[in-house]
Amino acid sequence: MAAFLLKRLAQAVFVVMVVTLIVSVAVRMTGDPAMMIAQGATDITEADLERIREGLGLNEPFLSQYLATLSGLFTWDFGRSFLGGTPVSTLIGNALPATLLLAFTSLLVSIILSIPLGIRAAIRRGKWEDQLIRILSLVGLSFPNFWLATMLVLLFSITLQWLPPSGMNGIASFVMPAVTMGVILTATNVRLVRTAMLDVMQSQYIMVARAKGLSERTVLYKHALRNCAIPLITFLGLQFGGLLGGIVVVERVFNWPGMGSLAFDAVAGRDYPVLQSVIMILSTLIVLVNLLVDIAYGLIDPRIRTE
Amino acid sequence: MKQTLTAMAIALAALTAGQPSTAQAEGKLIVSSPQDPGSWDPIDTFLVNWASLATNVFEGLTYRGPDMKLVPGLATSWEVLDDGLRIRFSLREGVTFHNGEPFDAEAVKFTFDRLLGNEGAKGPQQANYSAIDSVEIIDAHTVDFHLSQPDAVLLTKLAGYGAMIVPPRYITEMGDDVFNIRPVGTGPFRMTSYEPKIGVKLEAFEDYWGGAPELSELEYRFITEPATALAELQSGGVDLVIPPTIPVGMIPTIEAADNLELVTTAGPTVTALRFDTSRGITADADVRKALIMAVDRETIVNTVLGGQASVIASFQGERSFGYDPEMKPLPYDPEAAKDLLKKAGVAPGASVEINTRGNDATFNEVAQAVAAYLSMVGVNATIKPYETNVLLNDIIPQGKTGEMFQQSWGGWTFDFDNTAYAMYHTGQKWNPYDSDPKLDEMLETQRPLADPAERERLLQEIAAYAADRALEMPLYNLNAIYAINKRVKNFEPAPDSRLKLNHVSVE
Repeated sequence: MAAFLLKRLAQAVFVVMVVTLIVSVAVRMTGDPAMMIAQGATDITEADLERIREGLGLNEPFLSQYLATLSGLFTWDFGRSFLGGTPVSTLIGNALPATLLLAFTSLLVSIILSIPLGIRAAIRRGKWEDQLIRILSLVGLSFPNFWLATMLVLLFSITLQWLPPSGMNGIASFVMPAVTMGVILTATNVRLVRTAMLDVMQSQYIMVARAKGLSERTVLYKHALRNCAIPLITFLGLQFGGLLGGIVVVERVFNWPGMGSLAFDAVAGRDYPVLQSVIMILSTLIVLVNLLVDIAYGLIDPRIRTE
Repeated sequence: MKQTLTAMAIALAALTAGQPSTAQAEGKLIVSSPQDPGSWDPIDTFLVNWASLATNVFEGLTYRGPDMKLVPGLATSWEVLDDGLRIRFSLREGVTFHNGEPFDAEAVKFTFDRLLGNEGAKGPQQANYSAIDSVEIIDAHTVDFHLSQPDAVLLTKLAGYGAMIVPPRYITEMGDDVFNIRPVGTGPFRMTSYEPKIGVKLEAFEDYWGGAPELSELEYRFITEPATALAELQSGGVDLVIPPTIPVGMIPTIEAADNLELVTTAGPTVTALRFDTSRGITADADVRKALIMAVDRETIVNTVLGGQASVIASFQGERSFGYDPEMKPLPYDPEAAKDLLKKAGVAPGASVEINTRGNDATFNEVAQAVAAYLSMVGVNATIKPYETNVLLNDIIPQGKTGEMFQQSWGGWTFDFDNTAYAMYHTGQKWNPYDSDPKLDEMLETQRPLADPAERERLLQEIAAYAADRALEMPLYNLNAIYAINKRVKNFEPAPDSRLKLNHVSVE
């Protein structure tokens, strides 16, 4: 088990390093931050630009700039934003909780909706309820999230004026972003729960349970659900990674002060330190969650460890 | 029946009366601003979004309001001496900073020493004030600015950005980092809280020398997405959306809403399609003129831009110093254009590439219209959009554009020198192709001129000369578009987004 863990951990570190390296190189190919900062200046000379670059630390060798970013992960010091000089750790300290909170809420929404619906579809297999749930999940999967977000704002903020259209301020402001993100997750999860449930329901131990004369309720919730929880939890772990990646659009539309918005502004402003740090932290999180899932797998199923 | 109806009406009235029409308290105004500048220190930034807020916190020696006239600010008067090499300012007395520190000659000297010294060297502002050699204190309320060369635009520059007067004691004691996030100025509002990327709260500064503002509270929220800002405006979450947020396409929505109003004024930004004058068919001035005449700019403004712009004859708008009302754009005349092209030996089917800023949806429609007009005189135009910063920082400065490329430009000084020098002088970043010794000379001659009338005449000559050489296809001067809730009173739109909101009130 120790060897397995060590191997996985080394892989994780490698992935984070590669991702940040690619981002650091790529972002440097897209334009000069000094030019961005000086855009409105008249008579800006090459000497002025050089002065600004010097101030931003852009004259340092690339490798030392890159290593400084990486070391931020351990020292929680990611340097300063090129745009105004706010410490990047302050920006991330504000944005990361906002993003995680939104991601967890969305995940929660999808769990609350998808488990009962998936079970229902499985036990009513082929009946109209099953059909309806499957059609709905297909519809849910087909919504582009920015469209759904816009429709929600139009209805609940502009027409009915029930919910604030943007910002993170109180529980009401969570509803629309979480639902927008949650709908697509729910659609996927419903299908997953349904399939897993159907699989389990056909297994021998369920037949045995039924043969013992246990009530359908006990069979369902005590025996079947427990067993299909394993693939579901694994899948939720993986989904969490995808969720962090897909959060940019939703954060933009709802002006959510999270990592997605931060990354977007950083790209637009060629704000290297912010962009690199955001990507590094998000990829570390995703890798960590995947690592946890792998470990959980290894713990549950010894065969995986020896492979 | 009648009684029931009356009762229902009363009940309904009571219900609606209980609901506030907007979310704000009395005397509070909420503004949607598209971007957090990241620092509130005047020497750190060039962003319009900094100025749109910070104009309420800081003041310069001079002031220029929505009418664009330069008036006394923290200086009550000034005298230009020694052929423009010395300016003497008399300072306003009895002014204090938000922290109680007095405003005096000491503060003015501190501000400019800081701007021109090491701290200023880290930011983009220093280059703008390089004409200032030193600031000398004459007495507590008089200072002399010694200049290394005359700078005709300096007095205007003193009304904004890096020249905002900052408090010496506060900055010395607290340090620059604290000043970045908790700025202190002499303006009508004092900042009470700043949440990076989220917003800023301000309150009225009761001791303001110009009298306490009408509003008790002012809040700015950073909302990047135009649709989101509009949704907030429609649902009462914000009262005012400032430029450049509102795209032309959203105007009908605002006009259709009962509680909203559109307030526009000619803005600083002009847009042109500039030519590569060094190669291809656009190397020929007659061809460039033909291309200009082939495009009906009036129709583009009225249709694509919903009339929120005016056609320009040179690379400046009507508010710019150097604007010549007598100068008329080349007429829309496709037949003459065809003749000119024929004479120049351009065969039908010749092609040009137009580079645009990829994220400028409005302009991409304009470019399509231009391409359609060009096709009618036999020129095939292809549109190639670039990511804005790539276009601005790589493609244009390095001369890698197609035959035509988008250039939107607008300096807050509203002085044609700001545009003309950057666009036409040999070797400038924004002028990768053209080199014209005569133009260079004209540009250099006007700069040190102390007589405004003479300088204006020269700027007009420069504009005419550039138009005669057809260095760009002048398109339009876009309006600064503000959207407000009708409960906002006394709002006057500033062409340059620098809003001093001390006279604004809310119902």
